[in-house]
Amino acid sequence: MSRMNLHRTYRDNDWYPGGIPGNVVIGEHVYIETSYAFAPCLAEDESAIVLGDASGAYDQATFVLGPRARVVVGPYSVLNCHLVCEQSIRIGGHCMLSWGVVVADTWLERDWPVERRREYLEAVIRHPHRALGPMSTPRQVVLEDNVWVGFDSVILPGVTIGRGSIIGSKTIVEEDVPAYSIVVGNPARLVRRLEPDDTESARADAFRKYLRPGGGFGNVRGH
Amino acid sequence: MSNAVETTTGETHDGVTIAPEGAARMFHPLVPGKALPGDWFHRIVPANIEIGHNVVIDSSACFKHFFSKRPVGLRVGSNVTLCRASLAAEENGLIEIGDYCYIANASLVCSERISIGSHVLIAGGVTIADSDFHPISPAGRIADTIAISPLGDRTHRPKIEVRPVVIEDNVWIGYNATILKGVRVGEGAVIEPGAVVLRDVPSLARVMGNPARITQ
Repeated sequence: MSRMNLHRTYRDNDWYPGGIPGNVVIGEHVYIETSYAFAPCLAEDESAIVLGDASGAYDQATFVLGPRARVVVGPYSVLNCHLVCEQSIRIGGHCMLSWGVVVADTWLERDWPVERRREYLEAVIRHPHRALGPMSTPRQVVLEDNVWVGFDSVILPGVTIGRGSIIGSKTIVEEDVPAYSIVVGNPARLVRRLEPDDTESARADAFRKYLRPGGGFGNVRGH
Repeated sequence: MSNAVETTTGETHDGVTIAPEGAARMFHPLVPGKALPGDWFHRIVPANIEIGHNVVIDSSACFKHFFSKRPVGLRVGSNVTLCRASLAAEENGLIEIGDYCYIANASLVCSERISIGSHVLIAGGVTIADSDFHPISPAGRIADTIAISPLGDRTHRPKIEVRPVVIEDNVWIGYNATILKGVRVGEGAVIEPGAVVLRDVPSLARVMGNPARITQ
């Protein structure tokens, strides 16, 4: 077994007994609803998952990570989604990924014949954790800061979503999305551009206005 | 269900037809302010709801996200079945449901008002929402992620746009369909499974797809 099983963190009141793997780097005031989020995480890198300050992994958050995967999540981001990663997924700060969302850096290559697909599944049963493994050369997925992905959407390998953009519910994103855009539908189409009003001063104002003095429901200690 | 009181196999209680008490009993009469017998979810049914005759529900879990503080936050007609539905009315939300509706495991996410007519069927996985949950402007979303973060104040969030949803009589809504804010679904329309409805649907129309368009 990999060293990720060493130094697991076990939290009281977690219904799942698995604990948080030691290679999850946790910022200050992070909330993790349950360590079940990491049950399918086979990542071996010593800082395979980085969760920024005051980010949250809520009930549906799931890290489906292969041995070489690395996931970075920025501060104040909200995860309620599946991250399926063999190589790299980078999520900026202030992003919101809703329930039922899947972000994947690997999926079936278009040119795989049926025979190859059969061999792939037959190989899966030889893996001790039945890990699916990469089906294609993984292609990094990047969500820049302040991206909002609506429920049940899918972000496919190689996609970069520009800062401040909104992906509507149930949208399937196969191509890059420019910054400050609204993309909806299946197939996805760009329906609107947004005013880039999320300036540093707007962010500073928001911190003054929306932080709870002396509060915090973060439940895991940064390490 | 005019034979409700005459049934011999089912228990009748105040004219409510349900299976006899026991493990196989799935539904219970919905009574404001009361706990449901044998409920796996431990919540009292909220008192600020108005319920007609012969309305049944499977569990108080349907009220897990019911936070309405209105005098009446949920108004249900008669002969309605609520089965695993999420009645997520926020503080100022009012959900209205007519007669003879069957609402399966759908989510009704209501900031202000969702009105459902009579003889409406809502299938599993459906989401109906009268807001987009978060602000659209990039600056508004920065503020919202701070407000809902572990360090934020969830009771005090940036303003979002709310537009009530109206589902008229005799509408059927298919599995996993989504109906978004401000939409009026006209009398007798059918929403096909998986449709994402952003615009009003005319009476008797059939719509499908994402975004939903009229078929036939």
